Amino acid sequence: MDNQGLVNLGILDLVVAYALVLVAVGLAKLKRIGQEAQMLWASLRMVFQLLAVGYLLHFIFAVQHPLPVLAILLVMGGFSLQVIGARIKRKMPRFYQVVGTALLVGCGGVTFVFCSLVVHYSPWYDPRYLIPLAGMIIGNSMNGASLAAERLGAEMRERREEIETALCLGASARQAAKPALRNAFRAAIMPTANTMAAMGIVSLPGMMTGQILSGTEPMVAVRYQVAIMCAITGAVAITAYLIVMQGYRRYFTKAQQLEPW
Amino acid sequence: MVTVDGVSFLGLKADGGAVKLLDGISFAAKAGEITAIIGPSGGGKSTLIRLINRLTDPSAGRITIGGTDIATMDPLELRRLVALVPQKPFMFEGTVLDNLQMPFRYRHVPPPAAQSAEVTEVLALARLDRDLLERDARSLSLGQQQRVGVARALITKPQVLLLDEPTSALDRRTSDELAATLREICHGRKLTMIMVTHDLRLTGKVADYCFYLEAGRILEQGRAAELLAHPASVELKRFLSEPSDQEV
Repeated sequence: MDNQGLVNLGILDLVVAYALVLVAVGLAKLKRIGQEAQMLWASLRMVFQLLAVGYLLHFIFAVQHPLPVLAILLVMGGFSLQVIGARIKRKMPRFYQVVGTALLVGCGGVTFVFCSLVVHYSPWYDPRYLIPLAGMIIGNSMNGASLAAERLGAEMRERREEIETALCLGASARQAAKPALRNAFRAAIMPTANTMAAMGIVSLPGMMTGQILSGTEPMVAVRYQVAIMCAITGAVAITAYLIVMQGYRRYFTKAQQLEPW
Repeated sequence: MVTVDGVSFLGLKADGGAVKLLDGISFAAKAGEITAIIGPSGGGKSTLIRLINRLTDPSAGRITIGGTDIATMDPLELRRLVALVPQKPFMFEGTVLDNLQMPFRYRHVPPPAAQSAEVTEVLALARLDRDLLERDARSLSLGQQQRVGVARALITKPQVLLLDEPTSALDRRTSDELAATLREICHGRKLTMIMVTHDLRLTGKVADYCFYLEAGRILEQGRAAELLAHPASVELKRFLSEPSDQEV
């Protein structure tokens, strides 16, 4: 235990913790579930990825310069875009342009407002704050963006007949696609809304738990958690809204006809 | 009046290649007349009427309504003048009344009430009971849905009515009643009506003008009674002699 009351984990502690993974692998082997190799591979990847991130953060914290911080944020954003693209098999026309812009505006805008007006630390690029806060906002927005884009595509395909009937009756493209837009937006924000509703009862959120473990007063940790959840909700909603509102247009021609896709 | 002048349409094949679905189609449909498009399945009939209200655009040629090229018109304005009733009209969630009010909501104008003259008129024209107004539109039979589709298209008083197999799900009596209504509306309101159909009995009863479309080309056209009684082309003679294709 250090002088702040924080329990430091030594190598031996980590070895004991890793033994729990080996127990899981042993159980899988015993019961012939057949996932041992994947579990071992995933756990080793986790260890090396986190070690790499740890060293990288250690370096960036020491340098204290905005460029490496911005580079990290750019990589995080680019990676999340790539993950969304890989998840969605049938992409909307100009998928990367629509989703990339939405992520940039949604996550970038909310991170800027949150860091400058809510947490107001200094300097603005302080990696100790900016990287984890932006990371949580980008990570959650990535899930929302993925759900919005996937659901929008599915709705536009499933509702083709309904949309064309509405167009025949004089509806604009937006009016005709409205039920699809509503469902896609709802699908995107539902997990965040559910998480908020269950928070503190079903589970203690990760950031709050981490802060408490590192010695922060529980009420301070709670205030941080409330603030970050509000920021995440805002970022998910803005990103999903932009994807839905920009995305549906890609399914129509300028003459308000459904594109043949 | 609707004129179709040298219209061709290229469709996409499953392998991504192009296929000519319509090839140099020309005809004129006059106001106050019913023009029937007959022909075998896959001949391009439904594609042709989709072009007239710009659900899709032709690859070549031009279509005019009242002398105006539809390519120069605002698509929303065009579709408010030209109503299309598909073979299986989609019923929106809600009651029959909700469905009849839908076109007004799209135009941001107050929708007519159940007792209004507009609703009463289209219920009568489509041979629908007033009791159906509060029924869930999706719970109706296909025949009733088809008539709700016609009523929904007529309620905003379009100038052109495009019908895709309007009586395909109706029994003979209801089909005859609707046919009489369509003729009455067309002549009474000076509506330009273009109807795609397999039903030669219906064509004989209501159509003023008729053309035979096969493999994307008009092979024969003329006054309906004359064309059905005295077909000239081998293809039309064969089509008229195939009973299975005449009524669906």
